[in-house]
Amino acid sequence: MPISERDETHLPKWTKWLDLSDRALAVLLLAPAALLLSLIIVYPVARLIYTSFFSLSLTSGLPAEFIGLENFALMIDDPVFWETLWNTVLITIITVPGALIVGMALALLANLPFATQWPVRLSLLIPWALPLSFAGLIFAWFFHSQYGVVNDVLVRLGFEGIIWFNSPNWAFAAICLTIIWKTSSFMALMILAGLQTIPRSLYEAADVDGAGRIRQFFEITLPLLKPSIVVALIFRTITALQTFDIPFMMTAGGPGTSTATLAMYIHQNTVSFLDLGYGSALAVVMFALSMAVTAVYLRIIRAKD
Amino acid sequence: MASVSLKKLDKSYGALRIVKGIDLEIADGEFVVLVGPSGCGKSTTLRMIAGLENISGGEILIGDRVVNRLPPRERDIAMVFQDYALYPHKTVRENMGFSLKVRGIAGTEAKKRIDEAAEILGISHLLDRRPGQLSGGQRQRVAMGRAIVRRPQVFLFDEPLSNLDAKLRGQVRTEIKRLHQQIGTTIVYVTHDQVEAMTLADRIVILRGGEIEQVGTPDDVYNRPHSVFVGGFVGSPAMNFAGASISGERLVFRDGNFLPAGALKSGHSAAMEGREMMVGIRPEHFVPATASDIQISVKVQVVEPLGSDTLVHFAMGQEVLTARMPPDIRLRPGEDLKLGVDPSKVHLFDAASQKAVA
Repeated sequence: MPISERDETHLPKWTKWLDLSDRALAVLLLAPAALLLSLIIVYPVARLIYTSFFSLSLTSGLPAEFIGLENFALMIDDPVFWETLWNTVLITIITVPGALIVGMALALLANLPFATQWPVRLSLLIPWALPLSFAGLIFAWFFHSQYGVVNDVLVRLGFEGIIWFNSPNWAFAAICLTIIWKTSSFMALMILAGLQTIPRSLYEAADVDGAGRIRQFFEITLPLLKPSIVVALIFRTITALQTFDIPFMMTAGGPGTSTATLAMYIHQNTVSFLDLGYGSALAVVMFALSMAVTAVYLRIIRAKD
Repeated sequence: MASVSLKKLDKSYGALRIVKGIDLEIADGEFVVLVGPSGCGKSTTLRMIAGLENISGGEILIGDRVVNRLPPRERDIAMVFQDYALYPHKTVRENMGFSLKVRGIAGTEAKKRIDEAAEILGISHLLDRRPGQLSGGQRQRVAMGRAIVRRPQVFLFDEPLSNLDAKLRGQVRTEIKRLHQQIGTTIVYVTHDQVEAMTLADRIVILRGGEIEQVGTPDDVYNRPHSVFVGGFVGSPAMNFAGASISGERLVFRDGNFLPAGALKSGHSAAMEGREMMVGIRPEHFVPATASDIQISVKVQVVEPLGSDTLVHFAMGQEVLTARMPPDIRLRPGEDLKLGVDPSKVHLFDAASQKAVA
């Protein structure tokens, strides 16, 4: 019943100001959440975009100066920006599908009817729970040319050891492998959650209908996992675009800037060079990239619906 | 179509024996309902016939083939699941056609079969919808349609009506019966609802604790229950039970009421003298006192007018019994009542073994 239709004859007069329309009440109820979101999301983003229009370098000692789109124009001629952007995109293109495939395999494995479930779940959780920088450190040791376990295995198998961090390609490969290891458990957890919502009776019906395991995977599991996969992909892609910790700990962007990412370049500009204007402009690009990717995924979801 | 034979069928989970050596012959084209309380092993038995559960012992034959080790897809059966198990991302047509697609039946043949099945079930207008866009009853029909298009040897139904409301349940029940009359395929149907069992079955199999308690036509299990359990399980309201013993020519209840032992369906013999008995009387077999010479005197406790008839609950010693009386009967709680009983409708069970006294 709309509030305006209430029987108000028994209410004291001072309560009249409470007699809001339904719409006003809705706005009032939503206001605290909207305000909170504005404070923690809208304001920082707006401030970032605002700062990107200024020349603001804390090392120069000069006051902030409005320069319009000049920071963005600078970016176009900045080879390091393009290199780090390309590295970021490449990491995303390699590690997101990589983590999806490994994560899917892990999830299917974890979904098997083990007598004891917790060791399986725990082993999935551990890589996910490790701090990124810690994973970076561990794997920097794994890939160490002299003491690393990876080279040890390669040599035992009759291959030559690789000096991973001296070559841009091998360093990049080591970083991608580490990221896939670190992030596939997250993918696996998301997919496992999705798998567990698929009723067992669907597989039984498919058994009776005559479908084998592979057919069941493609006709039932995969289509029904699509929502979970898309959500996991959105999260993973956005975090891949923001890749920082693992390459920072493993190679610090080297050799040269061959493994540096956009996030590392933003960090370098804002934290090391204290160039907040240019750093903000770079961050705006990253933000726009994340938004664009999310929009594409959401469009895919809607198209499927 | 095919017959189904279960021979010494056994199922255990570890030390827990769920199904205990069931023997059952289901004839070609027969509609058999497995019924029993939760945990009696009826669904497990059905799932073993389907091949969704491994068997721990015994043998299952569909037609002449032993199917013990065959996967479900090679048993030529179709199953309707309790939750329908429709593929939510596929349309009704795709759901119904999936088994045909898997078996390489496509094109006009598949379309013809789907259209025919949809026609039989009255769901032709729903073929392009997804299960999420259908009501419970429509989903149920699609699940049946999916089974029909296969033209299997045997249909298996696992509590297919339990997710429907009472009105719809009645409707779909009728449809299932009509469907069986129309296509004549062997059906094994599991339910915990004795009304479903009575209305649908050619033969009812009553299970208890993993064993068959009684197999028979609905008339058999209703009118000739082999045990207290069957008597109490079939019929609504349930059969009344009261303790009694034979004393001379009388069947004497604990509260002193008695019936002439000679008129009992089971008859009476000297061997029954003094034995503790359980007397089973269906609520509808009590009649107003004027309709019978053989009467018992009781005190009314609760009266429930249902419109079509009136249920009268009364005490006989420690036991509370129910009588189904004509709707126009006027009674008040606490009132003394004389009830007529037809002794030929009275069932006698041995109190110790709980089995019917022949």
